[in-house]
Amino acid sequence: MTDDADADAKGRREPMRDPSYDGAFDAIVVGAGLAGSAAAVTMADEGLDVLVIERGRYPGAKNVFGGVLYTPTLRELVDVTSAPVERYVAEKRFSMLSDDDETAVSLRPGEWHDPPHNDSYTVLRGEFDRWFAEQAVDAGAVLLTETTVTGLVREDDGRIAGVETDRPDGTITADYVVLAEGGNSLVSEGADLRKPERAENVAVGVKEVLEFPERDEVIRDRFRLSNDAGASYHYFGEGAVGDAVGGGFIYTNEDTVSVGLAYRISDAAGSQPKPEQTLNAFKSHPSVAPLLRGARTVEYGAKTIPEGGSESIPKLVHDGAVVVGDAAGLVLNNGVHLEGTNMAVESGHLGGEAIAEAAERGRTDEAAFKSYPERLEASFVVQNLERYGWLMERVEADRDLIFEELPHALADAGAEYFRMDREPKEKHAEEARERLFETVGGLRGAAKLAYRYREVLR
Amino acid sequence: MSATPNVPNVDAGASSAENETLEDRLYTVRYDDPGESHLDVKVPGICAEGCTTYDCIDVCPANVWREGDDGVPNIAYENCLECGSCRWACPKGNVDWTYPTRGAGVSYKKG
Repeated sequence: MTDDADADAKGRREPMRDPSYDGAFDAIVVGAGLAGSAAAVTMADEGLDVLVIERGRYPGAKNVFGGVLYTPTLRELVDVTSAPVERYVAEKRFSMLSDDDETAVSLRPGEWHDPPHNDSYTVLRGEFDRWFAEQAVDAGAVLLTETTVTGLVREDDGRIAGVETDRPDGTITADYVVLAEGGNSLVSEGADLRKPERAENVAVGVKEVLEFPERDEVIRDRFRLSNDAGASYHYFGEGAVGDAVGGGFIYTNEDTVSVGLAYRISDAAGSQPKPEQTLNAFKSHPSVAPLLRGARTVEYGAKTIPEGGSESIPKLVHDGAVVVGDAAGLVLNNGVHLEGTNMAVESGHLGGEAIAEAAERGRTDEAAFKSYPERLEASFVVQNLERYGWLMERVEADRDLIFEELPHALADAGAEYFRMDREPKEKHAEEARERLFETVGGLRGAAKLAYRYREVLR
Repeated sequence: MSATPNVPNVDAGASSAENETLEDRLYTVRYDDPGESHLDVKVPGICAEGCTTYDCIDVCPANVWREGDDGVPNIAYENCLECGSCRWACPKGNVDWTYPTRGAGVSYKKG
């Protein structure tokens, strides 16, 4: 423990006064993100002694996401009345950007103003994850921060029986391990619990949190919001992410906005500008820049997003361990739905539940955890991933059409349809139709296109 | 050891969104230096002789990976936002990535 004095001198919190964690807990959770804390709350509620290990200085210190937390499972697990949320989502807006056009659709259902607000809230993870981990601690879990799990402890028969850490007495054994380490899953990969994902199936995301120092009402006025209502703007097309497959976003927080984008790592090479420059271009788009006028950057962040879908889900249970959240690739991005937080909480909860049941029977073998994959497959998590499994391949095949030609065609057709001159409207409508048909390949092409993507809205 | 975050100044009256430099952006997050790099290349020879595309440089949102004189990228690890992109971007799987230890590395307040 020689480095304790050193750590204190740096003013850090030193949580490990007593190094006797080894063998003192039933279960160890690797990572205090959404999936990890959901697992910890679940197991602690069932009476297990739970140790949560977080490599950051506090829960959330290493976590970045776009901005919307979906809470249907969360509010079943914990009392969310004191949860630090920013705004509820009262508007979803989808926008296609060419280099200088925008064509958008906006939805503002009245019912989203009523609690529980369609279970959709913008949050800041630095605050939210800390709060969620506190709920696990209140339920009886012990939280150990500034501690990195560097590997797994294995018994002779291969069973996972704890973790190696960068602590002086680094090994901590326990009957159960929950791997909730996030998308950059070095521990799971290092222990051969999953293979490295292909670059086509991982997106790089960059994001800025912006504030408006000029005046307080900017966000409410620009995004047409009342009280604690918020907006979720999604952007597609070359104006958002250049030639890459991906998209941009703006989410309103209480006093800040989150602006960012994500695209596939396999598209990052070659002519695509670097992520930071792609973000600059998006923020400077003529339809985006006025929303951000006068803003200054409070925080810049980056993360990777597993987008391999259901086929990329690794084996979820092993003797002594379960894999949950981003570490298990549980993120849905089908262009219209961008979800991960709800899937993290659901999987963490189901994983924790399976361990509690196995503990009840005194078992640690993977068959004892099988309720976890079974319930996950029956849940919205895997059902949704399977439903949209076909999408990314098709989008890849149609990428030029979807991300470049269609945004232009829609904008041109719109300009034509509403053109004000002395020609009759019949002529404008015809030219608008022609402009669209030229891009999609006539009526037949349009029908084929609609058919190819019918499952998105079905 | 820890850098104090510094909120960069931008002209509040600017007519459109102002984009800060990467340096100013990186100042917005706290960074504790672990003392040694958590990033490396596994086999330098693979970069020097087998790589022409340097996807690590193209994908990095924080300018960690930079062109090196001998064909092996220089690694400004203290810029790292710990997204992990370089790990997947390298077509040779030649990026050696470990988590910074004991709470070091980047700390996000907002995330």
